Amino acid sequence: MRRIFQIALGILAAIGGFVDIGDLVFNVEAGAKFGYDLLWVIVVGVVGIIVYSEMCGRVAAVSKRAVFDAIRERLGFGVGLGALVASEVVNLMTLAAEVGGVALALELLSGLSYEALIVVGIVVLGVVIWVAPFEWIERIFGYGGLALLVFVVVAVKLHPEWGSVGHGLVPNVPPSDKLVYAYFAIGLLGAAMTPYEVYFYSSGVVEEGWGPKDLGLNRANSLIGYSLGGLLSFALMITAGALFLPLGIEPQFIGTVALGSQVPLGTIGLLLALVGILFAVGGAAIDTCFSGAYNLAQFFGWEWGKQRRPAGAPRFTIAWAVLLVLALAIIMTGIDPVLLTEYAVIFSVVALPLTYVPILLVANDRAYMGPHVNGKLANAFGLFYLVVILVVAVTAIPLMILTHQGQG
Amino acid sequence: MSTARELDLGLGVLDHQLVDSEGRRCGNVDDLELSSVREGPPTVTAILVGPPVWRGRGWIGRIAAFLASGQTVRVPWEEVEKIDSAVQLRKPASELRLGRGDDRARPLVDWIPGS
Repeated sequence: MRRIFQIALGILAAIGGFVDIGDLVFNVEAGAKFGYDLLWVIVVGVVGIIVYSEMCGRVAAVSKRAVFDAIRERLGFGVGLGALVASEVVNLMTLAAEVGGVALALELLSGLSYEALIVVGIVVLGVVIWVAPFEWIERIFGYGGLALLVFVVVAVKLHPEWGSVGHGLVPNVPPSDKLVYAYFAIGLLGAAMTPYEVYFYSSGVVEEGWGPKDLGLNRANSLIGYSLGGLLSFALMITAGALFLPLGIEPQFIGTVALGSQVPLGTIGLLLALVGILFAVGGAAIDTCFSGAYNLAQFFGWEWGKQRRPAGAPRFTIAWAVLLVLALAIIMTGIDPVLLTEYAVIFSVVALPLTYVPILLVANDRAYMGPHVNGKLANAFGLFYLVVILVVAVTAIPLMILTHQGQG
Repeated sequence: MSTARELDLGLGVLDHQLVDSEGRRCGNVDDLELSSVREGPPTVTAILVGPPVWRGRGWIGRIAAFLASGQTVRVPWEEVEKIDSAVQLRKPASELRLGRGDDRARPLVDWIPGS
C-alpha cells in the first residue's frame, strides 16, 4: 500500500508539473493552429522528460543531492550563479503565470473579480504551503488535477479523424507557415521539459528520503507519471484541433479550453475542466515556488526542505514567501497570464542546457553514483536529448522574434 | 578517511554541500586553502566559506561578493569527518561558526504559529 501511495509523487509531478499553464497554453494554441500535426512533438517532449527526470531522481536518491547541487558542483561558482539567476527569473515568471491561471479558473468558477481572486489564490497557496505536510500537498493537488482526465473523454467524444491523429504522431513538416510551426514545436518541447519539474522532483526525492532501494519506484514514477501527463497533452491538443481549428478560433485565454469541454459534456464537463485546471495550475504554482527556493538554498548551501519545518530552514522559508509576494506583484500589474506563460516557456528553453548538462555529467560519475551510474540506454537517450536541447535553446528566441510569438 | 582513494578536489570537494555532525546543511565549500604550494607537495589545510571568498571565483564571483555581505569562515581540514557527495563535518555547525545566516534569519519566521 505504501508503494501505491508513493506513486502519488509521480502523479503530482505529472499533473501539477507536466500539465501546467505552459502545456495548457501551447497544446491548445498549437492544436487550434495546426490541428493534430504537432502531436509527435509531445511524444518527443514526454520521452525527454522521462529520461531526465529518471536521471535526476536517481542522482538524488543515490547521492542525496538535488539538481542545483549538481549544477554548482559541475559548472562552478560563476557559471552556476548565471544558471541560478536564469532559473530564478524563469521560475518567477512561471509562478506568476500559474497564479494568474489559478485566479482565472477561480473567476470562471465563482464569478468574482480577477484581481480579488489573485490575492485569494496567493493567500490560499501560502497557507497550504505553510500548514500542509509535503506528502499532503502532493495528494491534494495531484488528485484534484486528475479531473483534467475529462479532456480524454472530450477528445474521444469530439470524434476526431483518427487517421489525421495518427498522421500527426509521425514527424511532419507543413507546406506553409514553417517558422510558426517550428516556434510551436519548440514551445511544446519547452513546456514538456521545463526545468522546474526536475528541480522540484529531485528535491522531493531528497525530502522523502529515498535511497537506492527506491530506484525502481523512481523509474516507475517517471514512466507512469509523465506518460499520464503526455496523455493529457494529447487530449488537450486533439480537443483544440477538433473544435477550434474548424471554427477558426484562436484561444486567447485559458478559459477557452474549458469551454471546449462544455461542448460535448455540458455543465459537468465545464466544471470538471475548470476544477482540473485549478488544481493542476495550483499544484504547479507550488512546484515552481518551491523550486525557486530549493535552487537558492542548494546553490548557497542553506538548510532547506519542507520536512525541516519553516523555522528549521528559515532562509528557505523566507525565499518561498518572497517569491509568492513577487509573483503577486507581477500578476497584479494586469499582465496577460497567457503572454507571460509564452515568455516563461521560451526563456526556460534557453536555460535547459544549463540544467541538463550537469545532470548528465553527474549521472556518469562513478565516484558520485557508485554502481548506479547511467547505463548505455540512459546515455544514448541523454545525449540525443542534449543535442535536441542545444538546437532548441539556440533557435528559441530568434523564432519567437521572427514569428511575433507564433502570430506569423 | 579510512580507505585510501583518489579524490578530485575540483570535482569532489569544491562547491559541495557542507553537512555538520547533526546532519544540518551549513554552507557550501566556496574555496579551499592550500599550503606549501611552492615548497613541497601541496596540502589542503582548510575549507573556506562565505561571500568574501567568492572574489576568488572569477568575475561573476567578484560581483556576487561585492553585492553580498558576510564574513569568511575558515574550517580546518581536520574537522572533516568524511567526504561522500557532501563534505561531512565532525562538529555541530555552531562550533565551527557555520550556518549563521540561517541562525540570524530564524527569528523572522519562528514567531509564526506552526513554524
